[in-house]
Amino acid sequence: MHPKLAEFLAGCRDEAPLQLGVVPFGMLYGIGAIQAGMPAWLAQLASAVVFAGAAQLVIVQMLAVGAGALPIGLTSGLLNLRHMLYSMSIAEHVRHLPRRWRLLLAYLLTDEAYAVAILRYQVTPPPDDRPDLRHWYFLGCGFTLWLTWQLSTAAGLLFGASVPAGWDIDFAVPLTFIALLAMLMKERAGQAAALVAALAALAFAALPYKLGLVVAIVLGLVAGVWASRRREVAR
Amino acid sequence: MSTAALLALLVVIGLVTFVYRYAMIGLFAKRSLPGWLHALCRHIAPASFAALTAGELFIHGGEVVLALAAPKPWAALVAALVAWRTGNVLATIGAGMAALYVFKWLF
Repeated sequence: MHPKLAEFLAGCRDEAPLQLGVVPFGMLYGIGAIQAGMPAWLAQLASAVVFAGAAQLVIVQMLAVGAGALPIGLTSGLLNLRHMLYSMSIAEHVRHLPRRWRLLLAYLLTDEAYAVAILRYQVTPPPDDRPDLRHWYFLGCGFTLWLTWQLSTAAGLLFGASVPAGWDIDFAVPLTFIALLAMLMKERAGQAAALVAALAALAFAALPYKLGLVVAIVLGLVAGVWASRRREVAR
Repeated sequence: MSTAALLALLVVIGLVTFVYRYAMIGLFAKRSLPGWLHALCRHIAPASFAALTAGELFIHGGEVVLALAAPKPWAALVAALVAWRTGNVLATIGAGMAALYVFKWLF
């Protein structure tokens, strides 16, 4: 087998187990998008253009409650900021590549692909005797995740279209947020951010276009950062 | 929101997300980001999810509605307990949906 193909397939193989966790999220997004009234083609297109699970679920939820473009854009812009951190972390390993490679790998840089690819870069040193092909591994990770995300979105769209509105299946999206919150709130700082954001969301409920949600998130951020600062000082 | 407006919004969000992803790989020569950005990123997800969940449960038509016989907040409470005990997303959704049907039937 060609060494590039072997490296690509190794990336696909190591990324594969994570797909078990990705499929339900992709399906949930598809179901939620249909229930929120998004045209199916647009929801599928978003999975390719935005390609960020948490942000897509948030967009769907905000559409469902009638939020305007500005709050949806601001919230997604904040939620996806973390990709800059991944970009920084992986930069030293891909800087030497031609631009077309860097553009492609940047597009494929998601939480799950980053997690697997960075391990390869950190654990497997570049070989001395032959060229470094680890970017093919990264491509294998990214491609596997991309394919799963598109297919599970499509499956969710098909399923969502066949579920009657009376079943309240769209409630699965906030339930997902609750499940993720339970994990994130194991950290004290996460607790402060979540608590303040939830209370502020109610306090600013009357703002137009659901802008109160953005105000709430920003106040939650301030509270979270303040709480972790305080703990550092106390230590 | 019209379909055209939503398409435009999604394209803008996609472009911004791509710029984040490409930023340190291809745009800036600087190799590190400020520490406050790291600190900030840890709180964005919990703050967003909490604000959206609170809105879904207690805001109807721009007004805060706190009612005792409301199925969704009670179902969310059941889901939160399951999430806290199991840490499992699918179990949380299953329990929350089942609880929602039960409370809708009860109230």
